[in-house]
Amino acid sequence: MRWTRPATVTALLVLWLVIPLVPLVMWTGAARWSGTARVPQELGLDAWHDALDSGVLTALGLSVLLGAAVALIATPLGALAGRALGWRLLRRPTLPSLVLLGPVALAPFAVAMGLDIVILRLGIPGEVAVVLVLSVFALPYTTFTLRATYLSLDPALEEQARVLGATPARARRRTTLPAAANGLVTAAGLAFLVGWSDYAVTLLIGGGQIITAPILIGSAAAGSGNDALTATLAVLASLPPLAVLAVYTYVVARTTTKGYR
Amino acid sequence: MHRRSARLLLPAALLMSMISACAAPVAPGGSTTGNRSWTQISDQATGQTVDLWMYGGDQQGNAYVDDVLAPAAADLGVTLRRVPVADTSDAMTRILAERQAGEEDGAVDLVWVNGDNFATGKQADAWRCGWSSQLPNMTYVAPDDALVTHDFGTRVDGCEAPWHKAQFTLVYDSARIAEPPTTLSGVLQWSQDHPGRFTYPAPPDFTGSVFLRQALYSTSGGVDEIPARFDQATYDDLAPALWETLDDVAASLWRQGRTYPRDSVALDRLYADGQVDLTMTYGPARLTGLVEDGTFPPTTRVLPLEEGTIGNASFLAIPATAGDAEGAMVVANVALSPEQQAIKADPGTWGQFTVLDTDLMNASDRARFEDLPTSDIVPPYEVLSRNALPELGSSWVTELDEGWRRAVLGAGS
Repeated sequence: MRWTRPATVTALLVLWLVIPLVPLVMWTGAARWSGTARVPQELGLDAWHDALDSGVLTALGLSVLLGAAVALIATPLGALAGRALGWRLLRRPTLPSLVLLGPVALAPFAVAMGLDIVILRLGIPGEVAVVLVLSVFALPYTTFTLRATYLSLDPALEEQARVLGATPARARRRTTLPAAANGLVTAAGLAFLVGWSDYAVTLLIGGGQIITAPILIGSAAAGSGNDALTATLAVLASLPPLAVLAVYTYVVARTTTKGYR
Repeated sequence: MHRRSARLLLPAALLMSMISACAAPVAPGGSTTGNRSWTQISDQATGQTVDLWMYGGDQQGNAYVDDVLAPAAADLGVTLRRVPVADTSDAMTRILAERQAGEEDGAVDLVWVNGDNFATGKQADAWRCGWSSQLPNMTYVAPDDALVTHDFGTRVDGCEAPWHKAQFTLVYDSARIAEPPTTLSGVLQWSQDHPGRFTYPAPPDFTGSVFLRQALYSTSGGVDEIPARFDQATYDDLAPALWETLDDVAASLWRQGRTYPRDSVALDRLYADGQVDLTMTYGPARLTGLVEDGTFPPTTRVLPLEEGTIGNASFLAIPATAGDAEGAMVVANVALSPEQQAIKADPGTWGQFTVLDTDLMNASDRARFEDLPTSDIVPPYEVLSRNALPELGSSWVTELDEGWRRAVLGAGS
């Protein structure tokens, strides 16, 4: 069944995404733009110099690493949990569901404040602790994305593979996982964004050793007269998630044409 | 951002640390550097990496630390690494957690701090104390300077080294206000005569909070009527007049006082957009730069108050848990040198007022300060700080902020 999207819907969606970005992008090229003027009075790349001076490239690199590490941990765990919940493999799924969903309901700041003491006492290095804690935060997103995926998949597929002589691991790898590819990519993308966009956990549990893009943006946005710099940092920080989104769209398009459902 | 939640959570963290202090061993607080000589300390500092946690919203400040202070520290064998935070309370949260966990090689070595955050840390025994008086460059600081011996009413006790001075300053657009008022009560009267053209940041914002104290000085008949240490009876006596005055003014504020700018950044934006005619700041030296880069109109001027305005100093403090305390002391000492203080005082660099007394310097050092460029917009510190008023104790700050929320904000909505 194919659903064709009317052109107007697409146009509205693009506008929805683009309009808020226009002033942001304009700010990145403004050397002078006082509040009353409709357009910048003076153009220039000062903000880009300031952004580079603030170490934004290193920060973006660290953010990518952090997002990727969180996705690498939270996606397989989310797949396990999503499989158990989606295929109703648990007799009493309420409590595990609540526990897995819990982190979404908690403010990262509050959690970071309680956990940092425990982590310091245990002597876990800050960098490792940040990845672990953010993975827990990402777990609800991966779990519930993959729960929906598994709900739409028939467990019988794996059984058929078993009947045809595959080992349990092979059956899973060759039948269910490819069918769940879209869900896995979505889940990984969400988990990446959790690591990518965090401020409180990265700073407080990481002990300021990992200066990521959100920390730079947060501190720049806290002061007056930094609009151009903040906008430039924000635009730079939007690029990697957009890249992830593009890859995701590409992967979805490819797997869909291959005929996976 | 989460500034407000941090403020609420800080007392909670304190409480938690007190509870667990009974159960778990905690590193000795307020440890001193003992009898070590400065030479021994600077020898030990060689090779250390100092993590300086500081508010990162001030681009000039960031550039000064990265491009001027860090190279000076590197010359002495100490690596200075700046950790930018949106709010100093983020650093406090980390320090209190390290303290509670008994950490001895903590991630915070030095903090740019004053006021409430310093008092909180001192109460929690979270600072290393008795070290700042050992710094060789303290000889240039006047020992009887009240701004440097007390931090918002809390005795410094060698737990932090002075870094620079700040002066609360009202700022106006001379193109819109031809005849500016000259007292705080005059400002409030002006705002009633010109509805919608004035407002102030909502306390507990740092700047909104000092405006509240400045208004209290005005409605109480002067600073001498208020004891620096918080006192409930005086508060009950003086606060009603303040709330009444601010309530009367509220209806003629921006948006009829139904809402207030969230922080001084939001007020600055209203001023830059021409929505209000006045703004206010603790850092008047930054005005020159804000006008130069077009953020503020070129007709921006400082509005001096006859009764004087509140002044304070900010400091560099070393947590008791700091892993590189010797390096931090070396950095604090370099930051206090006449050379660094003069470079920092240049509005082209950062424009922060020095904590040093130029009378205590030799002629060549004094000349550095005399040669500093002047600004058309910001008068020199001597003029700004004329009749400077002291800060009240930090308990006053929290009580007044809370009182304002109930009496003025609550009544307006």
